[in-house]
Amino acid sequence: MELLSEHSQAQAQAQAGKHLLSIDARIKILASMLLLLMITSYRGFAFPLFVSVLSVLLCRKMKVSFRTFLLRFSEPLFIVSVLVLLKLFLSGRDVLFSFDLFGLSVTGHRDGLLEGLEMACRIVGAVSVVAVLGFSTPFAELMAGLSWLRVPRGFIEILMLAYRYIFVLFEEAMVIYQAQRNRLGYSSMRRGLASFGTLTGALVLKAFEQSQNTTVSMVQRGYDGAMPLLKHKPFKRSEAFASVLFIVVMGCLWSL
Amino acid sequence: MHIAEGILPLGWAALWSAVALPFVAFGLYRLRQRSAGDLSFKPLVGLMAAAIFIISCMPVPVPTAGTCSHPAGTAISGILVGPVISALVAAVALLIQALFMAHGGLSTWGANIVSMGVVGSFAGYMTYKGLRALRMNLTLSAFMAGVVADWATYCMTSVQLASGVRGKSPFLSLFGKILVAFVPTQLPLGILEGAMTAGMVGLLYKKRPDLLVKMRVLKPEEVAL
Repeated sequence: MELLSEHSQAQAQAQAGKHLLSIDARIKILASMLLLLMITSYRGFAFPLFVSVLSVLLCRKMKVSFRTFLLRFSEPLFIVSVLVLLKLFLSGRDVLFSFDLFGLSVTGHRDGLLEGLEMACRIVGAVSVVAVLGFSTPFAELMAGLSWLRVPRGFIEILMLAYRYIFVLFEEAMVIYQAQRNRLGYSSMRRGLASFGTLTGALVLKAFEQSQNTTVSMVQRGYDGAMPLLKHKPFKRSEAFASVLFIVVMGCLWSL
Repeated sequence: MHIAEGILPLGWAALWSAVALPFVAFGLYRLRQRSAGDLSFKPLVGLMAAAIFIISCMPVPVPTAGTCSHPAGTAISGILVGPVISALVAAVALLIQALFMAHGGLSTWGANIVSMGVVGSFAGYMTYKGLRALRMNLTLSAFMAGVVADWATYCMTSVQLASGVRGKSPFLSLFGKILVAFVPTQLPLGILEGAMTAGMVGLLYKKRPDLLVKMRVLKPEEVAL
């Protein structure tokens, strides 16, 4: 959750900077999807690393703090390190080094390490692309963009409702959690399990109640089962031309 | 248990997306069916997705590994809204996590939906229903549903990772190694998820049994008893 609030702050800063933010969300979504396709189908190091550097520069330009950036990469980087170690020690044939550990022979493989590093570059590149998309696009515009891409309306509505109420329910969960801690609800493993179960149940109950209240207020505002979405203006020629040029250049780099 | 952005090569990412798509589409169909007669159902599913998102973000200490992990919450949604809509709920929660938290990703969205939303939800739901049919206690059935959903999710994630990252290594040997690597965190986490699911169902039964009837988790006569 800390990541989500950091994300909101970073997005607010990006809004203040107005760099990538003014570009049509549909263009950003399409460009990101194409870049992801290129990265996941690429075999090698250069292209994903180039995309990562480009993304870091764009995030710096949007004034995304280093802390937010590190938080965003913390889980993928942990996974990367585990994968590289797994590939180094558990796959490959070309021996790079070998040593004894408590009587067990441990061998690292050069080809395994290369495979692991290639995968690591792919992960870092792909995460950076999605990070730029997330930081530079407000949620409502992202939803309108998905709607333009023919993502079913029901899905987008559930997504909008969920995103809207995450923060409300999270505050509720924190209040319950603090109250439980103050009453030593997590003082032992057994009590902790019981408290966590109660917290989850209380959260689901709150979600039920909140959904009833939400429905009443939505109906009062004319809700008939469909929620309104942002409407897009026509594509700007200059933006469309620049994005096509950008993708062509990236495509050329990918094919090198 | 999320498969991070970019781990899977294009072919595998596309395959898992193709597997996930019909389940999400069917979930949408069921959502439309149920919300046609009840305007409050769509907000309820949206709020459930938000609750599942928060539950899946709660750090739970894993004593054997000395780290924190997090529950998936799919057993809860599987029991409450059924496995098909639960797959949709998981898809929504996973998309928000991928876009704003880098947990999972867009290219691995399909794979994560299959392991958590589809396998987790169906395993949890079927365990719950099976045990209830055998007249097992409500909270114990919910506990087992949580355990089985978590462990089934982690087995599926191991299959997906092993097939996606194996390169030239044999599949079965890598699958076994990944499965063993997950054991220190996932075995206790499964039990934690079970306890959490049991606590949630138990609390709902005590405080609002009418909601369990509305969500078709219990029959009216079971509450009356």
